[in-house]
Amino acid sequence: MSLKARQSKEKRFQFAGLAAISIGLLCLVMLFASVLSAGLPAFQQTFIKLTFNLPADKLDKSGNRNPQEMKKVSTIGYTKVITEQLKLNLTKAGLEFDQLSKKELKNMISKEAPAQVRYAVLEDPSLLDREFEMVLLANGRIDGYYKGRVTKKSAELDVMVSPKQLELADQMKRAGILETRFNGRFFYWPDASDLRPEAAGLGVALLGSFYMVLIVLVLAVPLAVCTAIFLEEFAPKNRFTDLIEINISNLAAVPSIVFGILGLSLFINFMDLPQSAPIVGGLCLTLMTLPTVIIAARASIKAVPPSIKAAALGLGASKVQAVFHHVLPSAAPGILTGTIIGLAQALGETAPLLLIGMVAFVREYPSLSPEGIFEPATALPVQLYNWTVRGDPAFVERASGAIIVLLVFMITMNLLAIVLRKRFERRW
Amino acid sequence: MLDTTVDNMIEEKPKIIARDVKVVYGDKEALRDVSLDVMDKTVTAFIGPSGCGKSTFLRCFNRMNDTIANCRVSGSLIYDGQEISAHDPVTLRARIGMVFQKPNPFPKSIYDNVAYGPRIHGLSKNKADLDGIVEKALRRGALWDEVKDRLHETGTGLSGGQQQRLCIARAIATEPEVLLMDEPCSALDPIATAQIEELINELKQSYSVVIVTHSMQQAARVSQKTAFFHLGNLVEYNDTGDIFTKPSDPRTESYITGRIG
Ligand SMILES: Nc1ncnc2c1ncn2[C@@H]1O[C@H](COP(=O)(O)OP(=O)(O)O)[C@@H](O)[C@H]1O
Ligand SMILES: [Mg+2]
Repeated sequence: MSLKARQSKEKRFQFAGLAAISIGLLCLVMLFASVLSAGLPAFQQTFIKLTFNLPADKLDKSGNRNPQEMKKVSTIGYTKVITEQLKLNLTKAGLEFDQLSKKELKNMISKEAPAQVRYAVLEDPSLLDREFEMVLLANGRIDGYYKGRVTKKSAELDVMVSPKQLELADQMKRAGILETRFNGRFFYWPDASDLRPEAAGLGVALLGSFYMVLIVLVLAVPLAVCTAIFLEEFAPKNRFTDLIEINISNLAAVPSIVFGILGLSLFINFMDLPQSAPIVGGLCLTLMTLPTVIIAARASIKAVPPSIKAAALGLGASKVQAVFHHVLPSAAPGILTGTIIGLAQALGETAPLLLIGMVAFVREYPSLSPEGIFEPATALPVQLYNWTVRGDPAFVERASGAIIVLLVFMITMNLLAIVLRKRFERRW
Repeated sequence: MLDTTVDNMIEEKPKIIARDVKVVYGDKEALRDVSLDVMDKTVTAFIGPSGCGKSTFLRCFNRMNDTIANCRVSGSLIYDGQEISAHDPVTLRARIGMVFQKPNPFPKSIYDNVAYGPRIHGLSKNKADLDGIVEKALRRGALWDEVKDRLHETGTGLSGGQQQRLCIARAIATEPEVLLMDEPCSALDPIATAQIEELINELKQSYSVVIVTHSMQQAARVSQKTAFFHLGNLVEYNDTGDIFTKPSDPRTESYITGRIG
């Protein structure tokens, strides 16, 4: 081949490589752009700020401010009171609302609000019969109007919202009663039913995911490290250990849903552990993560030069001392990196959790005590999946918000792994 | 002269007695019927072409061959009136120290490198005691002056020659009686080599030193006794001067004159 042909071949190859990288980068940029544009609005919410003067004769009929008796008034009773209060506030601000039906007026505010107000009053009955301010969620459609999801035109065809409501919302916004701002509750409120997307949050899912990652950390890491040490340093090399080795590599390639099936039959049907609980999810994810961490740990143990072990043995250290004093500390950064990547994998895993019932609608936080791991919860990726299959576009927006949260966790964990690897990288 | 007789008596006392030592790796014979006495307070050099079994024989003394999966040692090796195979390897290796071909400091501080042996064998009562042991070992390893201000920096940051002296200091910190050195200078430059050789000269005052070397000049410079190995056999074992001036075996002669090697 002539020199010229060789050079042009090299050029072509370089060009192909550049093109491949560019396509990859472009896809990444598009992914981030679409996720961010769809998900960022989820961190904002439209609120209505009202000055309340709640009538005690309606909400505390016995009049002795006993929360036990006040519980008799349901959220329906509160809905009526809140609508009255809204009218008073609108009048005070000089806004017209006669053209709206009673129902339209009521639906300006989220269906979550009565429960919110009722909870506040039962906590502190002295709130009755005096003025105080409270910030309530606006209806999800009105929120959507300020995020571009809903327009006056689409509202004409929508049974959930009318153009008149949007008109009033605009006036309320000008009067300073209504505003769209950052919504921290997205991170700590539980999920909400189909009719009130504005109240849905990631609280239960984050707690559930946290419990599961904790379980994986506590179970998978010691197990994996012990297995790796045993196989690398102590196990005899024979057919049996070869078989174990091959199977560990095979397990790492098993589709994750298989671990869900295993978890369902082993942990739920056989061991009778509760469904939807982080303990079962954590155990399934532990099984799934184990091979990854074992393989990473073995690789880092193998990478420690044998001369280090020989030095320790030569000084009279026992084999166990040589391994635990010298080999393991040298391998630790690599093991840690593998662990973090395994945990990130576990955090993002959905399929096995669907099978063990973590897809259920859970509004109660699991308790913060250790028993919490036996109580129903959801997980971040499952919650995300859950929201995408609901009809209301407001939930799709929240799902995109959840994707951002998940991605932030993933990127943070992977960055941590990279930083640790760079920081402890050793040249022998 | 009374002095010399006492000196001679000490020199004549064997530290390790090897009889008919045979080593196989799997079914490959690496060492055949080697018998030799390692003397106290003497530097013994093992020379011979590479692959002749010098390292293998050296590793018999501190049972490092035990750590090689398919290695089998037979024959008799007596240390301190007892078969080496009957000694506990942990205490044996504290008393028979080893320095390896390639400097292999632990990736820890200089202090922790030297203190490791005394720590695992419980040789110090307290921190001050341990500090003393570390300083003494580093002084005898001729490294103290160079590192006394940076004891807590990592040992892998030293130069090659310093690392090897650190490894020697680490080995002598457990107060061994025998020091085994497997080609300790092969990875070092001439200046570092000279320093180590000087150190070996010092060490023989208190230890019995066995050194494997591929350099005949080195053997001539540092040792009093020399053993010549060839293809797994001990060909000749004698005073170093005699080996180099009047070898009794033709194979030894051709090796030291450079005809085999
Ligand atoms: N771990 C081992 N496994 C198998 N054979 C070995 C091993 N170590 C050494 N040998 C063999 O034993 C013989 C002697 O080796 P060695 O003692 O290292 O020689 P030397 O140190 O004199 O160069 C060589 O033929 C070598 O191939
Ligand atoms: Mg050798």
